[in-house]
Amino acid sequence: MRLKLISAAAAVVLILACAGFARAQIKMEIVGPGSKLSALAISPLHNLGGDDEHTVSSEFVDILSRDLRLSGYFRIIDPHSYIEDAQASGFQLGQFNFADWSPLNAEFLIKGGLTINGAAISLEAYLFDVAQQRQDTGKRFHGDRRDVPRMARRFADAILEAMTGRRGPFDSKLAFASTRDGRFKEIYTMSLDGQDLFKVTNNPTINIFPSFGGDGRDLLYTSYKSGAPALYLADLVKQRESRVRSSLGQLIGGALTPDGERIVAAVERDGATNLYLLDRSGEMISPLTQGRSINVSPAISADGQKLAFTSDRSGGPQIYLMSLNGGPAKRLTYQGDYNSNPAFSPIGGDLLAYQSRNHGIFDIYTISLSGGAPVNLTKGAMSSQHPCWSPDGRYIIFSGGREGRVKLYLMMVESGKIISALSEEDSNDTSPAWSWWLGQ
Amino acid sequence: MTRVRLGRGGWVNSIGAPVVRIGAAAMLCAALALSGCASKQPATGAETGAGAGAPGLGEEGAGKSSLQQFQQGTLSPGTGGPLTDIHFDYDEFTIRAQDGEILRTDARWLEQHAANRVQVEGHCDERGSEEYNIALGAKRAQAAKEYLITLGVAGDRVSTISYGKELPLCTEHEESCWAQNRRAHFVVSK
Repeated sequence: MRLKLISAAAAVVLILACAGFARAQIKMEIVGPGSKLSALAISPLHNLGGDDEHTVSSEFVDILSRDLRLSGYFRIIDPHSYIEDAQASGFQLGQFNFADWSPLNAEFLIKGGLTINGAAISLEAYLFDVAQQRQDTGKRFHGDRRDVPRMARRFADAILEAMTGRRGPFDSKLAFASTRDGRFKEIYTMSLDGQDLFKVTNNPTINIFPSFGGDGRDLLYTSYKSGAPALYLADLVKQRESRVRSSLGQLIGGALTPDGERIVAAVERDGATNLYLLDRSGEMISPLTQGRSINVSPAISADGQKLAFTSDRSGGPQIYLMSLNGGPAKRLTYQGDYNSNPAFSPIGGDLLAYQSRNHGIFDIYTISLSGGAPVNLTKGAMSSQHPCWSPDGRYIIFSGGREGRVKLYLMMVESGKIISALSEEDSNDTSPAWSWWLGQ
Repeated sequence: MTRVRLGRGGWVNSIGAPVVRIGAAAMLCAALALSGCASKQPATGAETGAGAGAPGLGEEGAGKSSLQQFQQGTLSPGTGGPLTDIHFDYDEFTIRAQDGEILRTDARWLEQHAANRVQVEGHCDERGSEEYNIALGAKRAQAAKEYLITLGVAGDRVSTISYGKELPLCTEHEESCWAQNRRAHFVVSK
């Protein structure tokens, strides 16, 4: 069942009152060809005081399990097969017996402990290599009960860092447009593991093109709620928003710079759509493109220096690259007659994802900014659009499927493996955006 | 919804609502939690105003915007008042020869109803990206506007808006349907 709460206060009460009843919100669906996954056991946390019903332990373990499954590196061993009693054994090296875990063919083991003192929670968790009988990483967290999901996400990020040398992407947010609640496209945010679903807009018009600036606090989107398309800038922490106003024309889409201070907006006037650099209130800093052609879907590199966008100046839609300081634009794509929706990899700064049409459906491609052949990642699996990168540059989320029945999919960039659908059936989620890591 | 006027800038509106999904086992628990909360706010409506910027209605010869029709569940071909829609080829915004006659008829009506204004809506089929299609719809609306101006309609009587691919008349995934959706629609107001 689905229950929507209008009042934020009521929601907090509900979460606190009902923690432990919360059900998985996303369907885990492995749709890609499997490479070998490491077998991981995640023990319940040892209660050092205050978690007598194990509800906090369950919440932490549930979210951690979901995130690590989504990482594409692990399969989680069924907890029903665990031999050890977590409450009867310790969680640090030397305080438990690896022989309790090797019969399960566990390659890795997560154990931890927690103390609840009033509202305050102290939690520590460790990753062990079972064969090597070695501790690979460990983390201590302090906070209150509402912080438990983020403790799990941060630990998942630390585990990926220990295993691969690169911090994982789970302590972040997704935004997307969806008709999951009716006929009208509304903007939502949620965590990658499907928790914390938040409905940003609530108006029966058209709300589209969400994009984050920086750490997931600022969200820019386009809405027709005043009748005509306009850009709105929402502060997700204060839950306030303002309209970006410009005398240049109608603002049909835009992107925030990584520092959140400036906006590249697609501005339509007299049928021509050009890109302008604006401040947050809509005052023009500089024009970026000029002319009668279409210039849309701006994307800004992580260093805030480069701009990629879609333009039909050469006939059909193609990807162009220029400096955010102005100057000429260079055409980047030459294969395919419909290339659009560019997105910069946040790492390395030299890789761009975009969508390209083949035989009537779109695939997600990457191309190097320095040239070279485009790489098709999705290979006709479905019509795949709107690529957006994880903050660690390891994954792309895209929207895939037929118009009206679109889902979000998580894909590993290096292998092109589609790890999981992130949307339920018929939720029709489109236009994903992925924030940078969240702030403290 | 609260509206607070801040500083020199625009309106600053409060946004959003958390969406909590719970298992059936939590229903009683949810009801208890809700009953403890007195300050329930309305879910929708307060933020609307989709019609606010659209042409005024109710007069003779007046029509509703496609967005208003969509909101009311009445969006369908040929429900737009006295002027006739024109259509476009795929990824094109040039006025087709056969649609020139329609625009001449539309211009004559506007000539005879000098007190009326018209908003030209540009629409696209489902293919291609959303943002590109909003820009393409804007080109279609502008092309129709310029054609009407060439026929003698004053430019300040004609405004434009693009809905891109967001408000299709037909949702089948085939050309006969796409052809209906690639349109300029005319909404007349006083």
